[in-house]
Amino acid sequence: MVFSSIPFLFFFFPIFLLCYYLIPQNCWGIKGKNIILLIFSLLFYAWGEPIYIFLMIFTTFSDYWWSKKISQTKTVKKTRRYLLFSLFIDLGLLAFFKYSDFLIQLINSTFSTSLPLLNLPLPIGISFYTFQSMSYTIDVYRKNVPVEKNYFTYLTYVCMFPQLIAGPIVRYETVHQELSTRKINLENFTIGLFRFFQGLFKKVLLANNIGLLWTTISMNLESLSSLTAWLGLIAFALQIYFDFSAYSDMVIGMGRMLGFTFLENFNYPYISKSITEFWRRWHISLSSWFKDYVYIPLGGSRVNKARQIRNIMIVWFLTGFWHGAAWNFILWGLYFGILLLLEKYVLKKYIDHLPNMIKHLYTIFLLLIGWMIFAFDDITKVFTYGKILFCGLGNHFVDSTFFFYLKNYFFLFLMTILFSMPIYPKVQSLIKRWQWENHFLYSLFVFLIYVILLLISISYLVSSSYNPFLYFRF
Amino acid sequence: MKNNLYFKIFACFLAGIVLIFSLFFLISKKERFSENENRYLANFPTFSLESLIQGEYIEKVEDYLQDHFPFRNLFMNMKTNTDLFLGKEEVNGVYFGSEDYLLEKYNEPKNTNRIIQVLNSFYQGLENVEVNLMLVPTSIAINQERLPKNAITGNQKETIEQISKALDFANISVWDSLQEENKKHPVFYRLDHHWTSYGAYVAYREYCKEKNLLPLATTEFSIQEVTDDFRGTLYSKVIKDDLPPDKIHIFLKDGMEYEVNYVLSKRITNTLYEEKYLTKKDKYSYFLDNNHPLIQITNQKIQNGKELLIIKDSYANSIVPFLLHHYEKIHIIDPRFYKLSIQDYLKEEKVKEVLILYHMGTIDEDLGILSIH
Repeated sequence: MVFSSIPFLFFFFPIFLLCYYLIPQNCWGIKGKNIILLIFSLLFYAWGEPIYIFLMIFTTFSDYWWSKKISQTKTVKKTRRYLLFSLFIDLGLLAFFKYSDFLIQLINSTFSTSLPLLNLPLPIGISFYTFQSMSYTIDVYRKNVPVEKNYFTYLTYVCMFPQLIAGPIVRYETVHQELSTRKINLENFTIGLFRFFQGLFKKVLLANNIGLLWTTISMNLESLSSLTAWLGLIAFALQIYFDFSAYSDMVIGMGRMLGFTFLENFNYPYISKSITEFWRRWHISLSSWFKDYVYIPLGGSRVNKARQIRNIMIVWFLTGFWHGAAWNFILWGLYFGILLLLEKYVLKKYIDHLPNMIKHLYTIFLLLIGWMIFAFDDITKVFTYGKILFCGLGNHFVDSTFFFYLKNYFFLFLMTILFSMPIYPKVQSLIKRWQWENHFLYSLFVFLIYVILLLISISYLVSSSYNPFLYFRF
Repeated sequence: MKNNLYFKIFACFLAGIVLIFSLFFLISKKERFSENENRYLANFPTFSLESLIQGEYIEKVEDYLQDHFPFRNLFMNMKTNTDLFLGKEEVNGVYFGSEDYLLEKYNEPKNTNRIIQVLNSFYQGLENVEVNLMLVPTSIAINQERLPKNAITGNQKETIEQISKALDFANISVWDSLQEENKKHPVFYRLDHHWTSYGAYVAYREYCKEKNLLPLATTEFSIQEVTDDFRGTLYSKVIKDDLPPDKIHIFLKDGMEYEVNYVLSKRITNTLYEEKYLTKKDKYSYFLDNNHPLIQITNQKIQNGKELLIIKDSYANSIVPFLLHHYEKIHIIDPRFYKLSIQDYLKEEKVKEVLILYHMGTIDEDLGILSIH
């Protein structure tokens, strides 16, 4: 069940929230709320994965168990062994469900064998919750966080439905205090609700609609002109940003409504002036995970240059591979690894002296090429698309199709590009300066905008379920 | 941050709006059939453990919730209007042309060679039977000048020419005469993908020219408007209530008598027009009761022994009334639903003339035609 859907918005979430708020805090304390949250989260997961829910329960229990052992053991050697057990189970399951077919294909093509594929459906959210659960055990091992004594509290943390399926990767250290004491009040509800709706509008009105253009353009590569291909790529870049950051907005907003404060996951990545900066602003919870649990343990940048280069390439190979079991994701990761190395050791001194405009263009260009690699599972399509971009297939530079799309999507491009920039915080600070924030008319105005956008979003959601039956053609 | 009292109140209002919709859903009456979409809406699924485990049950519950959302039609309108407001000229594969014309996108054909092959082998399998093809362009081709600037659409003329060149029998070209007539009367409905009786009439004249028949002149008919409230299939695709509806005209001639036999549903009537559809949404079905596998129509005022078999899609339904003036009996087969051998049928019924009539929107896409041979 995706958040931006009618069943979730009008049924699951309201019913959950009513139960969550109505259960009185003074008799069971925060425990009652946690139990409601746990029950609904399990329902939420079972809704999409009635079977794999046991896998998730197993993974979390294993981490819970080994962490407890780690905390009870004094000898370093033993704790280390427990940690390795736990990581082995986590990564083993992830590898089995996510990467086994990829591996089988690799073996088949190298040794020309014909081992059958397993064709396992990927359990929803496995990449996210595995990483989350792993980070807990490692943190317990490093004594960064206290051990959780109650399995159900731990399970509540891993599987709380706002962040279960697609992140952000919330670490135990961020929320462990809030699991036992948190403020569930109108203030947090208000902040959370507005944030949630922002995410909803971004997803339904901006991401989905600009995504439509990418779908149309990428469906038929044969007759694309170069400029149309560029337009499609820009649309994809905008779609993936708005889709993902909208999702994070909804998660952060829902978390807030429940009394949790999750960390931000995006910070206007497209205003970056270098690729290095981009990765500090894009999917922050993932890049910081790799930094803290892979890069730094490998020695980070405190080792000699050759090792540093090795470390960076390992991290980016893994980052790419984490996104999906396909060659294009590996290529995508390595592409960024190389760019980051180049920036770090070669380009930095040149880039620093360039005018800002050029820095932006440089970054956007490289990002677009990156998204092209990301967009197609099929690596030959990546190269075809690349050739089209630079007129390498004898295709036209521009055609009337380009102008049609440009005109049809002009407003959407305008809005998405505008909202990729930190307009919203700027407006907020202006409001503060003018002291409007407590003004009735201002709040009314904001409220009305939200109502209108909510209705329009509903109209898009409703119409996505509208299927004129093909019978009509007759 | 927004921590003042007003914002808190308004946040509750917003949550209230969501709740109102949920409540409305619970108490509202559930429609079973959506006329606009021409389909039954999802029912609440019956529970079984198996369907739950396979995830099917949940999917169906979601379908149910979405299909019965309150004010669905209102929201559909709102979505289309928002799209148009944002500068979109195409919704759901339909262009918004000038003068309230909805023009359905024509996709580049993929099956042209297969179609040619099937048509030719069908023809070669017959003895002593005259066969003609009539490929009718769709609205977007004839109303090209009404399209938004730079709109993308396939080239129907090219496809028609490619097919007629490769055929062993004649294709009756109706392109030019449709274009000519369109300047006087609309040959296509604005909100439906079918042609009007005016379009069918000029195509009938082309047919007569090919077959050396003397067509009836427009003056020999009384042209009647049967409805002015027709919002057809293209309208259903976009849903925009302020588009003015179409009119349906029919060309009537006095003193005709027919026996219309819907063979497989065992129903016999004496009219080509089914009044009951005029109060429904799907008003084009007024012509010959929508689609049937096999219809036999006898003209009781003519005894010339001539019989015609039409292999067709729904476009034929409005040209049949004209053709009937020249035949004693017309057999109409829709190969999408008629699953027996057409060759055998021709032999049994001793029919010597065949017209294959398709419009460009279905010939490549629904491929019912491939089953004729």
